[in-house]
Amino acid sequence: MIRYLTRRLVQMVLLFLVFLTVTWFLLYILPGDSVALKYAGNPNIPPEAREVALERLGLDKPVLIQFRDYMFNFFQGDLGVSFNQYPRPVVDIIGERLPRTLVLFLTALVTYYWAGFVAGKFLAWRRGNRGEMAVTIGGVGLYSMFLPFFAFMLIWFFSVQLGWLPISKFLDPEQWRDAPFAANEVFMRLFWVTLLTAIAMFMASLAAHRTRGRMLERILRWGGGALVIAAFLFYWFGTEAGQGMRIYAGDIAFHMILPVLTLTLINFAGVMLLTRSSMLETLREDFILTARAKGLPEGMIRDRHAARTALLPVATSLVLAVATVIDGGVITEAVFSWPGMGEILISSVLSEDIPLAVGAFAFIGVLALIGHFVVDVLYGLLDPRIRVTEHG
Amino acid sequence: MVEMTNLPEDPRPEDSPVSAAIGGGGESWWKIRLALMRRSFRDNWKIFRRNKVGVFGLVIIAFWGIMAVMPTVFFATGFWTPAVYDPVTGLELDPPTRTMTMVERITDPNTEIDRRAVLLDGRIPDTLQIGDTFELPLQPAPPDGRHWLGTDPLGRDILSQLMHGARASFFLGIVAAVVTVVIGTTIGSVAAYFGGMVDSFLMRLADLLIMIPGVALLIVIGAVFTYQLWHLAVVIGVLSGFGGTAIVLKSQALAVKVKPFIDAARVAGGSARHIIFYHLIPNVMPLSVLYMMFTVTGAIQSEAVLSFLGIFNTDTSWGLMMNLARTQGYLLQVADFWWLTVPAGLAVTLLSGAFFLVGRGMDEIVNPRLRRR
Amino acid sequence: MTADRLPVEVSGGRAPLLEVSGLVLRYDTEVGEVSAVENVSFSLGRAEAMGLVGESGCGKTSVALSLLRLAPDNARYRSGSILWEGVDLLGLSDQQMRLYRWAEISMVFQGAMNAWNPVYRVGEQIREAMYQHFDPPLSKPETNQRLDDLFRLVGLDPAVQNRYPHELSGGMRQRAVIAMALSCEPKLIIADEPTTALDVIVQAQILEELKEIQEDLGLSILYISHDMAVIAQVTDTIGVMYAGKLVEFGPTREVFRRPRHPYSFLLLSSIPSVTGPRRRPVSLEGTPPNLLAPPAGCRFHPRCPWATEQCRNDEPPMMQIGPSQWAACWNAEQVPEMGDQLP
Ligand SMILES: Nc1ncnc2c1ncn2[C@@H]1O[C@H](COP(=O)(O)OP(=O)(O)OP(=O)(O)O)[C@@H](O)[C@H]1O
Ligand SMILES: [Mg+2]
Repeated sequence: MIRYLTRRLVQMVLLFLVFLTVTWFLLYILPGDSVALKYAGNPNIPPEAREVALERLGLDKPVLIQFRDYMFNFFQGDLGVSFNQYPRPVVDIIGERLPRTLVLFLTALVTYYWAGFVAGKFLAWRRGNRGEMAVTIGGVGLYSMFLPFFAFMLIWFFSVQLGWLPISKFLDPEQWRDAPFAANEVFMRLFWVTLLTAIAMFMASLAAHRTRGRMLERILRWGGGALVIAAFLFYWFGTEAGQGMRIYAGDIAFHMILPVLTLTLINFAGVMLLTRSSMLETLREDFILTARAKGLPEGMIRDRHAARTALLPVATSLVLAVATVIDGGVITEAVFSWPGMGEILISSVLSEDIPLAVGAFAFIGVLALIGHFVVDVLYGLLDPRIRVTEHG
Repeated sequence: MVEMTNLPEDPRPEDSPVSAAIGGGGESWWKIRLALMRRSFRDNWKIFRRNKVGVFGLVIIAFWGIMAVMPTVFFATGFWTPAVYDPVTGLELDPPTRTMTMVERITDPNTEIDRRAVLLDGRIPDTLQIGDTFELPLQPAPPDGRHWLGTDPLGRDILSQLMHGARASFFLGIVAAVVTVVIGTTIGSVAAYFGGMVDSFLMRLADLLIMIPGVALLIVIGAVFTYQLWHLAVVIGVLSGFGGTAIVLKSQALAVKVKPFIDAARVAGGSARHIIFYHLIPNVMPLSVLYMMFTVTGAIQSEAVLSFLGIFNTDTSWGLMMNLARTQGYLLQVADFWWLTVPAGLAVTLLSGAFFLVGRGMDEIVNPRLRRR
Repeated sequence: MTADRLPVEVSGGRAPLLEVSGLVLRYDTEVGEVSAVENVSFSLGRAEAMGLVGESGCGKTSVALSLLRLAPDNARYRSGSILWEGVDLLGLSDQQMRLYRWAEISMVFQGAMNAWNPVYRVGEQIREAMYQHFDPPLSKPETNQRLDDLFRLVGLDPAVQNRYPHELSGGMRQRAVIAMALSCEPKLIIADEPTTALDVIVQAQILEELKEIQEDLGLSILYISHDMAVIAQVTDTIGVMYAGKLVEFGPTREVFRRPRHPYSFLLLSSIPSVTGPRRRPVSLEGTPPNLLAPPAGCRFHPRCPWATEQCRNDEPPMMQIGPSQWAACWNAEQVPEMGDQLP
């Protein structure tokens, strides 16, 4: 396993170098002097910045030297300076936005995979091949729904018609006017607390999955879950640190509901369809018949045998989902004016803030690569056949 | 695409003899192949027709196909005049009006601008007093006899734009799909045939491409290049052809490569090029057609998103229609101005979804394991 | 002399463990009903080994799965009963039936290579069954002890239980399946082609061991195979199936010495060593009938070299021929001799 992981890790790093190289050539070299033109003609660029940029780019130097300089700077964390938010360094902006995107991305990914998996599981288990047409067409309809259109329909319904949720943005400026915290501080706190809660929840359900005692499983699953949620609530309502931040954290979370919902609903159907067909296929396997013959209860056959094995192809699809959900995230952020990586990517592209655009894109690439790495590890853990083949 | 993981295990059995029989490459080999193709098309159509989901998709595609050719008919027959109905430059000069009565004047406390006047594009005469009635030209106008789906804020016909958008989508989808298939089958077959370094290089490249979020990449490309519809189609086709499609088709080509007729061709002295183009590619073709469908879905969606965000500029497209609705602030008034957003949004969903459905239907042909008895 | 009374007689007066009578099972399909099991009756005593033979597709697996009530979803039990120690399994609720599975009747599946779930360790999959069926539950050390014993019993190193299925060879997997089948101390093991996919040597070893275990533990066993030689080796009684029907039933020795149904006769004559050099081998021609529309009269008549008008029109019932041998053939008395008079 360790060897497998190191090999993957090395591959990932190499891939990233290639990715960066290609990106650089694509954006800085291929268009000839168009970058220079853009710098020269962009009214947003302060004159002194233009000088610095042109010098930094060193358009008169040989291509390889330019490339070397760029790479060198990149790995020293110097991605240049944004033009629109001059003189803020690109790294600084990205450092602020990256956690936000990560949260949106992870929350949506976990929610939709989980929901899609559970829905697919039950659809396959309950109905077999019946209702195939309706499920497929409904699922494909949702899956190929035009994301901005769908997002605006949701906004229109939940925010305009019902008035339940905020229309867009990261927070409500009115409420934050004289807040004692910076938005990012609150956000990071929210991030860590939620992450810890999620990990604890996951551990509890994993432990429940592992045990064989009926009672014990129930206790772990529900009791453990309740305990974790109680701890989460206690933090926000019971402790001093939590109480002070509560309304602000709540405001941020409130603004996240619709974007997460949009991403989840759009992507959920694909996972559901895949799980359903994978599960239907698994249910035809001999080991399911064996499990039945062993007199295992139906729930156990469904969850421990059918679903657990049907999970493998679904986990493989995560590899492709990483790119898809990042794309979805970029679009969603744009639609909701939700200030994450995607939103800066688009706004920087629209305002021709090239250093920021490239920096954002490079980090989106890093995100995708890490996502892949995690999926690989996950898959190795899920499928014992991989685990061993890769050993030796 | 989620479906990509459903890899078929073998090529369709009826294909192997085809290539084997024609291995020699006589003068009329293509005639035989054509005949066989026609036959296998008929057989496959029979299988496809049983799949209701696929047929449903096909019906939707046919519907949009008709939509795409309608403008030509309308303009040719004089039913539509370009001056009014052209999707880009057309203008309804005589829009419907609504009689309104001034009830109160609302002035924005910060800017001191009359808010309603701003909203209505300054079309309220300044001299108007409370209690006066006036005729307000309605633009965007709701559907009526002249404009079946109404007009947009610039007074252009929505239906005409929708039809031209269908045309653009078909063009984009088909070009992207063809590029994908040409590249994907070639790369897949070459990687499978040569193996070794060639294979690992091409496959690592494919790994990289499927990892990159495509829309993000297209957005960044948009920062540097100004590109047109067919550029976009080619870029999407290249990304998919070197990426996911190549991986899938390579594994298919590997399955074909171990078939006896390939060895036979090799023993008979067939060159690598001959074997790849005459044996491998024709046998991975059916599967590649499946991936064509998924590419079309992706291409239509990507274009719509880019146009919607205002990063990609074409004359007419569904994404652009929604972009206009957005920049003019009609997007959240779905109930009052539904014709500005709903037709275009649904069109993207329906057409891209339809190709996806057809792909799923074809899955059963290409992948006999899924067939029901 | 009806089929219904047949079993008790055969089991020689011992209270039978299992008594199947008049079982009719059909599969619903889009194109019609497949008559897979038609009026099958037999019984099986304690510590008895019975064989079920027949060509592929004659309904052997369908019978076996019926005993556990595991036939596919589209299976319909039209009539008949399956009495397990006097309880009709077909009348039980799903919950009740679950308690019989594995604890009373366990099964070694056809193609047991795929009987293992690839994602769990072999030992874990056996433990899971034991956990369900021992009441009071076994303690952890007891379970481990039992697992070790089981693995030794089937000739495997107990360490194998910590491996994943794909890490075992075909023979090991099959042995482990047998260990799993034995894990809950069942009274009957159904072995559906337990050795088909294995090479001849392993096949012989496993059969040998299975036979020993069966005798040592006093188990009943139902062997299913299309291979007469295997059946001859390990069974006490034998049932021959053709196209969904049981056509002959009796002690293995008797049936092999003197088959009373033309189908059994033809099957046996393809094994020279058993039928002896005296008879010349006769081949079985044609293919089994389509069970969507089985032939009228005797289902075997289209392929039977001795078929008469009666065979074409009337379905022969199970008739007692020898002291404990039964056959469903109008000309049962003449069968072995007819072999010499083939055209
Ligand atoms: N689920 C099903 N639906 C319809 N027909 C079925 C189904 N399962 C089995 N059959 C049919 O029922 C008949 C009996 O099948 P069964 O599997 O019991 O035969 P078998 O004797 O075990 O054959 P084999 O030696 O090949 O295992 C066959 O003709 C088969 O085609
Ligand atoms: Mg069978």
